[in-house]
Amino acid sequence: MKRDRILRALLGDAAHDPGCEETFAALGAYVDAALRGENVAERYARVVTHLENCPGCREDTEGLLAALRAIGPIAPPEPPNPTG
Amino acid sequence: MHPDAPRSPDPESERWLGALTCEGPAREGAARRLHDLLLRVAYAEAHRRRHRLPESLLEELDDLCTQAASDALMAVRRKLGEYSGAARFTTWACKFVILEISSRLRVRAWKGRPVASLDGDERVKERLADSAPSALQAIEHRELLAALARAVREELTERQRVVFRAAVLEEVPIDVLAERLRSSRGAVYKVLHDARRKLREALSRAGYAENVA
Repeated sequence: MKRDRILRALLGDAAHDPGCEETFAALGAYVDAALRGENVAERYARVVTHLENCPGCREDTEGLLAALRAIGPIAPPEPPNPTG
Repeated sequence: MHPDAPRSPDPESERWLGALTCEGPAREGAARRLHDLLLRVAYAEAHRRRHRLPESLLEELDDLCTQAASDALMAVRRKLGEYSGAARFTTWACKFVILEISSRLRVRAWKGRPVASLDGDERVKERLADSAPSALQAIEHRELLAALARAVREELTERQRVVFRAAVLEEVPIDVLAERLRSSRGAVYKVLHDARRKLREALSRAGYAENVA
């Protein structure tokens, strides 16, 4: 319904939106799950709600996903030499 | 278990943590490797947004990416104790550089552009009724929009009004508002969140409950 779309665009889903800071805290786990192809909509419903409401966080998340997909596997550093 | 609850890091993340917290040259070597990764992510993100950036900003991209990678590395090193293992270490680290580069790009892209809501420009107040933004193209819903405009006037604090009008009617990015208001993205979003909640409640009382539940 057009009216619903207008209200959602203006007011979002305020009731279940955890905000930018909580979303940022969970973002790494959300992005890893998305990269693994998991159903993030179910596991990370609060994050998904915020990303629907906040264009800035949504764009950042898209950017993080795109960058990590483009870069691919990232080798870790060599273990530190115990003898120094 | 909550999906982002703390857990033991995977072996590769353990390697990063071990190298970044050890004594000696291995620590700086790991920091350099991480900086290289953060810089690649910053460039990837700047390149992805390139077509939306003003021409004048393109020659600054190298500097902006370098600054973003350096600041993100400092943030990662400062917050190492907060890493919970819920994400791969590299994913966790890269979110900091995305935040750094995206904030810089948005703020620089809006540099010098006036934000009418922050300047008290009266014309913004009429936008709900006039439906200038794309979200308000449906003129047949004037009654609802009039109720919303009334709620904006009567229910919100001055700061909530300013943030709502700027973010929703002028479509000013939250990072830009945070910079202009000398606040943080999270704090400005909280103001917007509270404003939206009040407006939903007001519309519900005005008989639009089925549409805003």
